[in-house]
Amino acid sequence: MKKRNGTDGSLLASLPWTLVALTFSLIPHVQYMPVWITVSFLACAAGRWLIEKQRRRLPPAWLRVVLALAGFIGVFASYESVSGVGPGSALLAVMAALKLLETRQRRDQFVLLFISIFLIMASLLREQYIWSLPFLIAGMMLTTTAWLRMSISTEVSICDTFGTGGRLLLYAAPLTLAMWIFFPRIATPFWAVPIDNGSASSGLNDQMSPGDISSLSLSDAVAFRVNFRSSAPPPRQRYWRGPVLHRFNGRTWTGNEATPDLRAQDSIQVSGEPVEYQVTMEPTQQQWVFALDIPYELSLEEAFMGPQQQVLRAQPVDRRTAYDAVSYLDYRTNVDLSQTARSWWYLRLPDDSNPRTVALAKQMHLVAGSDKAFISDVLDMFGKEEFFYTLEPPALGSNPVDRFLFDTRQGFCEHYASAFAVMMRAAGLPSRIVLGYQGGEMNPMSDYMIVRQSDAHAWTEVWLPEEGWLRADPTASVAPERINSGMSAARFGDAGASWGLRAPAQWLYNLGLTWDAVNAKWNGWILGYGPENQNRFMQWLGMDEPSWRKMALTLLVSVLVLIGGISFLLVRRYRPPQKDEAARLYLKFVRKVGIRTRSGETPREYAARIAAQNAAPATEVNAITDWYLAARYGPPDARSLEALQDAVRDFRAISSGRSNNHPETLQKAT
Amino acid sequence: MAGVQITATLTARAERWARKRQGTDHRAIRLRSRRIYILPTGVGAVFALMTFAMLLGSMNYNNNLSFVLTFLLAGLGFVAMHQCQRNLVDLEVSFAGADPVFAGQTAQFRIAVTNYSKHRRYNLQLFADAVRGDIRDLGPGESRVFQLGVPTRQRGLVRLERYGIRTLFPFELFRAWAWLHMDLSSLVYPNPADPAPLPPPSQTAHGHRQHDARGEEDFAGFRQFHDGDSPRHVAWKAYARSNELLSKQFAGADTSSQWFDFDRVNDDDTEARLSILTRWIVDADRTQRDFGLRIPGTEIQPAHGDTHRHRCLEALAMFNATNRIKAAA
Repeated sequence: MKKRNGTDGSLLASLPWTLVALTFSLIPHVQYMPVWITVSFLACAAGRWLIEKQRRRLPPAWLRVVLALAGFIGVFASYESVSGVGPGSALLAVMAALKLLETRQRRDQFVLLFISIFLIMASLLREQYIWSLPFLIAGMMLTTTAWLRMSISTEVSICDTFGTGGRLLLYAAPLTLAMWIFFPRIATPFWAVPIDNGSASSGLNDQMSPGDISSLSLSDAVAFRVNFRSSAPPPRQRYWRGPVLHRFNGRTWTGNEATPDLRAQDSIQVSGEPVEYQVTMEPTQQQWVFALDIPYELSLEEAFMGPQQQVLRAQPVDRRTAYDAVSYLDYRTNVDLSQTARSWWYLRLPDDSNPRTVALAKQMHLVAGSDKAFISDVLDMFGKEEFFYTLEPPALGSNPVDRFLFDTRQGFCEHYASAFAVMMRAAGLPSRIVLGYQGGEMNPMSDYMIVRQSDAHAWTEVWLPEEGWLRADPTASVAPERINSGMSAARFGDAGASWGLRAPAQWLYNLGLTWDAVNAKWNGWILGYGPENQNRFMQWLGMDEPSWRKMALTLLVSVLVLIGGISFLLVRRYRPPQKDEAARLYLKFVRKVGIRTRSGETPREYAARIAAQNAAPATEVNAITDWYLAARYGPPDARSLEALQDAVRDFRAISSGRSNNHPETLQKAT
Repeated sequence: MAGVQITATLTARAERWARKRQGTDHRAIRLRSRRIYILPTGVGAVFALMTFAMLLGSMNYNNNLSFVLTFLLAGLGFVAMHQCQRNLVDLEVSFAGADPVFAGQTAQFRIAVTNYSKHRRYNLQLFADAVRGDIRDLGPGESRVFQLGVPTRQRGLVRLERYGIRTLFPFELFRAWAWLHMDLSSLVYPNPADPAPLPPPSQTAHGHRQHDARGEEDFAGFRQFHDGDSPRHVAWKAYARSNELLSKQFAGADTSSQWFDFDRVNDDDTEARLSILTRWIVDADRTQRDFGLRIPGTEIQPAHGDTHRHRCLEALAMFNATNRIKAAA
């Protein structure tokens, strides 16, 4: 008796391809998923294959239920949620594994293939690199192959199936392109579901302790890219302003949670030439939005300016975001700062901390006589005395500023900024720390600036009456090359080596820049093809005042035209071939002879007649007649047709025999 | 249940409409695109929903790569639709005969399908009402005979007014089909009754003349022994010599020919009588015995062979068959 539940091996032909397609679609998720999911999926896939191959039973229903429960609980335990891309794709993987265990029929595989497509989709939501496109195409290729394999008879080879799938995808490609270009893009989402792409927030934090920024300096990751509409400012003016910190506990600087402040914008007075540019930020999962110094205008939805002129967005930047901005490099802010703000925000120092620094500052302020002189004295002190700029400063312990200023004297920008701000406060000058990026290099392969995480920087702002907040960067005194030529350039010099930076080979570095240029184009044109780009592209195509109506109409028309084209291609493909090549050749021969065939005359009779009239060499005529009869009525054989072709081509009628005395109707010889 | 009924009503209407539109077909038909219909399948509907959901997702996240995937799927759907229909276009479908069967058996209609194009046609299937044929491919230039088995219940003609050829290729998202109205029919013999003894010879000889076993007739020669020959006629001496069983033949008494007479079958019911007659004919034919058939309105002289058997069975099948037109399953 047949074993109950035993598989019948009917899936042997199609199951492997379904498994391959699923596994391939799962690859980009592996690094984000707990290991147990990957392992259980592979185990289920391999197990299912063995079951099919050895005609074993599928696991019983109760076991499948237990496994399903375990899987869902496991996903929930691993992610503590079931929404978002991470848990979603994990659930898909678990579902695929479980579905495999109950896939009995051909049709069950539909579910698996749909899961495969959803997995591809999820991976695209998570990350959109250049290689995501080839991945998408390869994944669809495998999925269509598996899909076709599901119903195709066993006599069809896998190459044939692959070809069919490829052909169908190729037909679909122009349709895809047309829909992609013309489908109207909308700016605002319907609902906000955060895409958890597994990465923790990156880039600058909203607080500063010694060591925070130097850890960033090792990262080559791109923070943002900038396209300048006007000329780029010189390197020492490339301060990309971020979080502003004013609270100091002796070791760590923190800021207030920023709230929109309408007066912040009004307190800026600008002069000089504006700098216009576009920033494309990489996702940070934080609210900070970076601009050149204090931006005068910023075109980003939901972005606002905080009371300290820092710019934020209401939603964290969870995907690549582009915005236009205008900055003036000459400006004054908060010329009148209230006494409360001064004493409560910008002058407070913790009691009894860093006493030597406080004493030094008070003394230097006294000696200098004026606030401005005092500021330049302190900056000079960093430049002239023995201070070192290094990525690997020694540990500082308690009273870190004291220890840094008087003992170690080795530090990174955060040490200098911190010490400078403390000295200012000690001398009665309101000061605050600004975090951001300093520098950025123009990509010689294309016309834009790259600002990397390694350009992260900390500097200070000091408030003076009548002048408002002034930027003061002590790092510029210690390591002017850091400010003047930027971090990236510095790493090729001796300075870079002394800071402990790796110096990659120049060609490798250039290759990296080229790759970055390609990526920037990819980001700008493919990923960034939003409402604005689409509008611009439509105008370039010649559409006046693009609207979604016009685009939808164009979309409809182009899709219909393309479908018509595909239909035509398919009609041609399945049209029976021209039936009678032999008849066509024979007709050509008759034309060459110049004597028409009579109705009802057989080819042999015709041959005899023209031979009798001496219109053509009899041997050739007979040969052609024989080949024609063989090609047309004999068993299918390409040779006779070829021979007929050659013979007709070489045939020459005897010119004297050419006669017009036979006005019979020209008729197809039969 | 209501849904099923609505579907059935709609299907019947569509079929009537198609019949009216296309008219009756010849026995060989080239499928033009005019007569090929196409509708999405359940899988196709799910696929469309999935693609729509992905479109919403892509719009929500403004994710241009998932737009690519979504539109690729949509494009694939369009392409699949055309490919599905084209998979049938320009096929030649012709009737290649059907063999008579006994009631209760399945009548196999043979339909030849030819692919004249240079490309393969995938997953073709014949269907008629509830009947489904095998799914097969047709290579370039290939011609194949597809069988369409129609179950029979009653004798007479089993009719195949309409059948169709369909395909789900490539992705089972769409089903394309063509209806063919060739008004085919095949003969259905009555179902043979349970094995029953042949009628006694007394009832069989023409004019009710009884066969005299004592052998007054003239010896006419030998012939091969068949089951049912009387052992008394076996040439035992010849058997001893040549080990070959031969029967003696006597002129004037055709012992191997029998008459099967409708009126003399011992049953009241017409169908039962026909069944018994069928059984006799089948058995007699198996033993190569000559037999004649007499049913009201028809008399077939004794003979043997396939043609004769068919003639007799056909007469039984079509007996009073005017009311059997609807015998089709």
